[in-house]
Amino acid sequence: MHGSSEVASVGTMWLAAILFVITYAAIMSEKINRAIVSLLAAGLMILLGILNQEAAIRGIDFNTIGLLIGMMVIVAVTRQSGVFQFMAIWSAKKVNANPWGILVMISLVTAVTSALLDNVTTVLLVVPVTLLITEELKVKPYPYLFAMIFASNIGGTSTLIGDPPNIMIGSATGLTFNDFAYHLTPVILVIMAATLLPIYFIWGRHLQATSEDRQRVMQFNEYEAISNVRLLKYCLAVIGLVIGGFVFAKLLHLEAATVAMTGAALLLLLANFGHDPEHQSKHVLDAFNEVEWITIFFFVGLFIVVHGVDGTGLLKLLAEKMMALTGGNLTATTMVILWSSAILSAIIDNIPFVATMIPMIKAMAPAFGGSEGLMPLWWALSLGACLGGNGTLIGASANLVVAGFAERAGQPIRFVQYTLMAFPLMLLSIAISAVYLYWRYL
Amino acid sequence: MTARTLMNSQPVVLRPTDTVATATAHILKHHLRHLPVIDEEGCYIGTFSIYSLLRLTLPKAVTMKEGLTDVSFVNETTQDLAQRLRERGSEPVLNWLSKEEPVMHPDVSTMEVMLLMLRARTTSAPVVDKNSHRLEGIVSFWDVFEKLMGEDA
Repeated sequence: MHGSSEVASVGTMWLAAILFVITYAAIMSEKINRAIVSLLAAGLMILLGILNQEAAIRGIDFNTIGLLIGMMVIVAVTRQSGVFQFMAIWSAKKVNANPWGILVMISLVTAVTSALLDNVTTVLLVVPVTLLITEELKVKPYPYLFAMIFASNIGGTSTLIGDPPNIMIGSATGLTFNDFAYHLTPVILVIMAATLLPIYFIWGRHLQATSEDRQRVMQFNEYEAISNVRLLKYCLAVIGLVIGGFVFAKLLHLEAATVAMTGAALLLLLANFGHDPEHQSKHVLDAFNEVEWITIFFFVGLFIVVHGVDGTGLLKLLAEKMMALTGGNLTATTMVILWSSAILSAIIDNIPFVATMIPMIKAMAPAFGGSEGLMPLWWALSLGACLGGNGTLIGASANLVVAGFAERAGQPIRFVQYTLMAFPLMLLSIAISAVYLYWRYL
Repeated sequence: MTARTLMNSQPVVLRPTDTVATATAHILKHHLRHLPVIDEEGCYIGTFSIYSLLRLTLPKAVTMKEGLTDVSFVNETTQDLAQRLRERGSEPVLNWLSKEEPVMHPDVSTMEVMLLMLRARTTSAPVVDKNSHRLEGIVSFWDVFEKLMGEDA
């Protein structure tokens, strides 16, 4: 997403601005599917002459697209192995089926898995086991589901591949898997602990189960949850290779999408090797069907729209306005980005927001002594956009998935009730991030 | 011949406030599979069936949409299952109704009755008045085939 050098007329800038605002409004209204909105807006960008098709294709960040698709395919194959259920049950038994212990362990499993795989899949697989455990223990599932929402978004923040905003930031800036781990993991550990503390005081210390009910959970056989041992071995081997690939990406001169897509292809090969062609076609199609195509096409359209707007110089202008507001002060700019992205991400989709912020932040490079000087801003954007998702039930897709399960289990999570507890807790995580950013970079 | 002539117009019915225990007793005593549930005006509001019973005896995490598909790791005993059934026995049947069961109108033909049973893989269906939604009766697979065999003879 590089701003094109040609200078657009003021008329084109206005046209792009209007289209951009309408696109945002349409995405926020949720009346029309977001993939339709972004693709239609991208088409209009070209039809109205704001950019041509060649420029539009240049605007699509295929590294982000490839990384997303590759990881989604790996997850689609891995989820069939039953490993997620295994981890949840294994961890519950490790704490002797103690209700509070289980809450902590399930949160950790969710956080670690969300850091390495996508948040929605993680909760989709861990929530049903959690509901079974809470049902057997006869404890209210609400605290567990609440903690899982936070754990999935917090865990997702800690790595390059954990959450879409990080994937986009990493791809646009060249920041690596190791950079994300080195700069974000320390503060994420603190935030995770700081989130569990209030959960303990409000709910955790009241959680109780009879020894009889706990015994029922202890009798779960986690090894039975693994449906296919051979597949599991392949999945773990490929995930290990892929993460190794991310860690050594810079050394090997590899982009993240290459690592993820090659990993996906290798896993599909291993999982299908020796089967007849018909069986292979079915399994490959099943895996591809699990790719969230709505998200992928949403990204494609959005990249074109943002590239079009960026080319008119509008985002540069907005960046200059923002700099004028903060007086060109790095600390003030970092804090504005952190807090505003957190609050906005709690209410609106963080993907279009981050897509817009990236070229804006890039435009600030000259004022802060080149791209090196932008580091705190990138971490502020990542922490704000990812953690902000915890603030309300609509802040992130994983939240909605958990809420859907809660509803079906007859224990609905109410929007206001959730927000009253979650929004302050989200602000606490942002306050911790603010202190961390100030202490480490400013 | 229509559903009205085939149906049993005096079926065992439940009220929404009847308990799961009452419904279970009816189902076991008469070997019924589907019990229609009607309100005070006699209007059909749903069906409590053997599938409702199966559902409420199993953990919710297993029976809900996108729930656990594999339960081989759970070691619930028959006592555990019986206890869940007992615990839910005092709940009103309203909590466990199915509102998606196919219904038919009194004037549909025998062929339509049979096709509906085949397509829905069900053995009986409530007969409901099109306008008032009042339950007129229940037509079962046995009603239909006893009639067919009688014609043959």
